Amino acid sequence: MNIAHVERKQAFRYMCLPSEPDAHFLEMADKCEKMLLSAVKPNYVYRVFPIESTEQGISGGGLLLRGNDIKEHLKECSQVVFLCATLSAGADRAIRQSSAFDILSGMMTDAMANALIEQVCDKAEQEIFATFPDNYFTWRFSAGYGDFPLDTQADFLKVLNAEKRLGVTLSENDLLIPTKTVTAVIGVSETPIPKGKKGCAICNLSEKCPYRAKGVHCHD
Amino acid sequence: MIDFSSFLVLDGGMGTLLQEKGLSLGGVPEVWNLEKPDIITEIHRNYVKAGSDVVYTNTFGCNRLKMARTGHSVQELIQSAVQNARNSGAKYVALDIGPIGQMLEPTGTLSFEEAYDIFREQIEAGNDTDLIVFETMSDLLEVRAGVLAGKEHGNGKPIFVTMSFEENGRTFTGCEIPAMALTLEGLGVDAIGVNCSLGPEELVPIVKMLCEWTTLPVIVKPNAGLPDPVTNTYNFTAEKFGECIKPFVEMGAVIFGGCCGTTPEHIQKLTETLSRLSPVERNPVIPSAVCTANHTVIINQPRIIGERINPTGKKRFKQALKEHDTDYIMNQAIQQIDAGADILDVNVGLPEIDEVEMMQSAVKAIQGITDTPLQLDTTDPIALEAGLRIYNGKPIVNSVNGEEKSLATVLPLVKKYGASVVGLTLDENGIPKTADGRFAIAQKILNRALALGIRKEDVYIDCLTLTASAEQEGVMETLRAVTRVKQELGLHTVLGVSNISFGLPNRELVTRNFLTMALYAGLDLPIINPNTESMVSSVRTYKLLANIDKNAVDFIAHYGNDTAPALKPPPSAQSTMSLESAVTAGLKAEASAITKQLLETIDPMEIVNTQLIPALDKAGSDFEKGKIFLPQLISSASAAQGAFEAIKTYLSEHSTETVNRGTIVLATVKGDIHDIGKNIVKVLLENYGYQVIDLGKDVPLESVAEATEKYHAPLVGLSALMTTTLPSMEGTIKLLNERCPWCQTVVGGAVLTADYAEKIGADFYANDAKETVDIAKKVFGN
Repeated sequence: MNIAHVERKQAFRYMCLPSEPDAHFLEMADKCEKMLLSAVKPNYVYRVFPIESTEQGISGGGLLLRGNDIKEHLKECSQVVFLCATLSAGADRAIRQSSAFDILSGMMTDAMANALIEQVCDKAEQEIFATFPDNYFTWRFSAGYGDFPLDTQADFLKVLNAEKRLGVTLSENDLLIPTKTVTAVIGVSETPIPKGKKGCAICNLSEKCPYRAKGVHCHD
Repeated sequence: MIDFSSFLVLDGGMGTLLQEKGLSLGGVPEVWNLEKPDIITEIHRNYVKAGSDVVYTNTFGCNRLKMARTGHSVQELIQSAVQNARNSGAKYVALDIGPIGQMLEPTGTLSFEEAYDIFREQIEAGNDTDLIVFETMSDLLEVRAGVLAGKEHGNGKPIFVTMSFEENGRTFTGCEIPAMALTLEGLGVDAIGVNCSLGPEELVPIVKMLCEWTTLPVIVKPNAGLPDPVTNTYNFTAEKFGECIKPFVEMGAVIFGGCCGTTPEHIQKLTETLSRLSPVERNPVIPSAVCTANHTVIINQPRIIGERINPTGKKRFKQALKEHDTDYIMNQAIQQIDAGADILDVNVGLPEIDEVEMMQSAVKAIQGITDTPLQLDTTDPIALEAGLRIYNGKPIVNSVNGEEKSLATVLPLVKKYGASVVGLTLDENGIPKTADGRFAIAQKILNRALALGIRKEDVYIDCLTLTASAEQEGVMETLRAVTRVKQELGLHTVLGVSNISFGLPNRELVTRNFLTMALYAGLDLPIINPNTESMVSSVRTYKLLANIDKNAVDFIAHYGNDTAPALKPPPSAQSTMSLESAVTAGLKAEASAITKQLLETIDPMEIVNTQLIPALDKAGSDFEKGKIFLPQLISSASAAQGAFEAIKTYLSEHSTETVNRGTIVLATVKGDIHDIGKNIVKVLLENYGYQVIDLGKDVPLESVAEATEKYHAPLVGLSALMTTTLPSMEGTIKLLNERCPWCQTVVGGAVLTADYAEKIGADFYANDAKETVDIAKKVFGN
C-alpha cells in the first residue's frame, strides 16, 4: 500500500509542538518524513469471524476474548474483525538512524511513525467498511486496553498468521515487533451502535495523561 | 548426494491440510507429530504419491521458544517428525526450519548468538535427515545464524534456503534479492529460492532477478495464489498452479514445490508439467559486489571507501574506543555516508582495548543504523572472524598480504564467510620497489584465493601508496602496478589515497591530484576521507569525464545549483553570536563553531560552567514554566551536544583531563525496547557534564548491577514504557539494593507514576529529562 504523506499535524501534536512550528522544525519534519516514508513498507491483514458465546466467554476464530471490557465493547455485535497493521521493521530502523544523527530527529521520526501507523489502520478500516457496506462498526479495541489482557497477542497473531503474512512477531514480554505495529478488534453489527468514545477510564496512561490534564482527548 | 541435473520436486502446504483434519487456528502443528503421527505420515505419503522427491518434516516452528508451552522438548518433537516423514517412503527427508518467531537485535531483542544456538539445537535433533531447509525467512541475519549452525553442526548435509519476498522485491525486513544471493552463495549454501507470501504470477520478476544473481540451483515454492481476507481461501486451482510454473522453468529454476494453500493435487499437476519439460541451463555472470541485507554496491565504477572509522592519529577516536563510545562511531559512519561514502572501512584496533569485542560492537552498532556495506579492517584474525560472523551481508576483508602466514590464516576465513578481500602487495621481504614486484605478489594472492574457491571477482588488490615526500620515485610505480593488475589480471583495485601527501604542505592539493591520477590508472576503490568535499568531488568529476556518469546526471544533481562548491565557508566560523543564543536557538553547527573559537582563549571547564550550563539552565527553566516544550528543550540540548563535542575533542588533544561531574548508569529495563525517552535523558545529562554509561535497551538485571559495580556509580537511571516490563524494573532495583547499596535509583517512563516508583523501591521518580538532571544535581551535590 502507498501512503504519500504523514499527517504532520498529528505528529506535531504527539510532540507537543504547535500545529505550525518554527521553520527549524518544519525543515526537520521534511527530512524525517522523507526518510520514514522511504524506509517503511506499511501493510495490514484482517480476518472476520462470527462471535461465539462459550462457557468461558465470547470468542472469535477460536480465540477466547477475555475480560469484561472487550465483552462490553462487542455487546451489540454479531461478527468481529481482527486487524493487524504494521509499518514494518523499516520504521524501527529509520527511528534508530535519525536518533543516531540527532535525538530531536529521532523524536520527530518516532512521532511521525505513530501518526503514520494510525493512517494505515484508518486505511484498513476503510477497506473493511467497504466490504460490509450495510453494517455498523465499533472503534478499534486493542489487547492491553482495560482488562483485555495483553497476553492475548500471541494467539491473536497466530489466528491472523501475522508472522508469515506481515513479518510481525512478539517479544518475550508480549511487545509487538516491529514496534510500530497495531493489533485491534473491531466489532461488526447489523444495527447502529451507540457512538462510544475511547474511554479514559480503561486507559493505562490516564493518571498522567497530558491531554486529559488539559481537558481534551488524545483522539480528538 | 542430490542430483541437480534434473528437476527436484518438493512437497506442498502442511498447515491448511492439518486444519482440515481438525487442528485449531491457534493450534501447534508440531505437537501432532506425537499425538497424531498417522495423519502426518499420511499427508507426507500423499505428497510422495503426487510426485514429491523431498518431503519437509512437520517442524516449521519447532524451536525452543515456540515449543516452550507445549510441554514437549524440541528433541522429541523433531525426532518423531523425522520418523513420520521417513515412514512415508520419500526419497529425501528435509529438516524443515522456519523463522524463530522473535526478531533479532537491534529491532528485536534476540541476539545473534541465541539465534545460532536455537538453530543448532534443531539441527542436532534432526540429524537423521538428508538435508536442511530454512524457509519463509525474512531476516538475512537470522538466515546467516541458521546457515552457520547448519554448516557447523549439520554433518555436511546440503542446505537449502528460501526467503519470502513481497512485490517490491524485498522481504519484510527489507532484505533484497541480490543481497540474499551474494550472501548465501558466499556462505556455501547448496540451493536458494523463494517460498510463500506471493502467488506464482507475482513471483515472476523476483525469480527472474534471483536467477541473474546466483549460480546455485534456484527453488520456487509459491502459494496457491493470494488469500481472500474474509474466507482465507487461495485462488489457484491445481490445474492453474501446475501450468503457471512454466515461466520459472524457462528462467532456469530446477527445484519446485508449493506453499500455503497447495495440496497433493497441486503437486501432482506440477509434476505433470515438469515431466513435459527439461531443465534450462543458466550461465549468469555475477559481478563484483558487496552488500548489507538491504543494499548492494556493485563494483562496476569507482566506489568511495570512507576511512574515518580508524583511530590512527586521532586522539578523540582513541578516547571514544577506550570509553566504548559506540555513539561516536555511529556518528562518524553517518557523516561519511552523508558526504558520499559507498562503503565504510571499520578499524577499531587499539592496544589497550579488547578488539574482538569492540569489532562486534562496532559492526552491530553501525549495521543497526545504516545500509552501507563495511570493510572490516584488522590485523587480528580473531577480531576479523568475530566481525565476519555477525556481519549482515557480504563485507570486504582488509586485508591479506603475500606473506605465507597471512595467506594461510586470512583466506580460509574469507572463504568460510563468503567475503571479498583486499590483497596488499607486500610479503616477507616488504613492499617491492617496482611495479613488477607488486604485480607478482598480486598474482600470488590471486592464485591462492582461487585455489581455495574464492571467486576472482571477490579479490581486490591494493598496490600500496607510498608517501611522495619520502619516496617520490615510487609514486608512478604504484600507478603502473594498478594498471597492470587491472588490465592483465582483470582484478579490481583499491588504494589508501591519503598517505600520498604525508609530510608535504597543502596535503589536500596533493591528495586530490593523486586521486585523479590513480582513478585514470585504473583505481576502483579509493579509500579516502569523504568529509573533505574536494575528494568526493574529484571522484564525481572523474566519473563524469570518464563517461561513467552518463549525461552527467549525478554530477548535476550534486553541483547543479552550486557555482563554487569548494568555497563554502565552514558554518558560522566568523559568527558574532553568543554560545548561549546558539544553544537557545538550537543551532548545533554554530554552537560547535563558537565553542571552537572560544577554546582559543578560554579554559574548557570555564566554558562549560559559565556559558554552556547557564544556557541549558535557562532552557530548562523555560521548559518548566511552560514557555517552551520538550522539542525546543531537546533542540537546545542537541546544540549543546555540538559544543560539548568540540570541548571533548579539545581536551583529548590538549590534556588528560575529561569533563566528569559524576557517573550515572542508564538503562531501558529487560524486556523493553522503547529507548527514545532514555536517549533524551542521556543527552541532557551529558550536556551537564555527567559521564553516562548507557547500557542500551532490553538490559538484563545483572548487567545493570555489574556496570554499577564496575563504575561505582552513585546514580542509576531506569526507564520502562510498558506495563509488562515494570516487573523487570522492580527486579533491577531489588538487585541493585542487594549488590550496590551505595547507589540511588531514578526511574521514569510513560506508565510510571511517583506512587508506583515509591512502591517498587526507587529513590526518585522523574517525570521528564529535565527532572532527571535536577535529581542528578541533588545526588552529586553540584
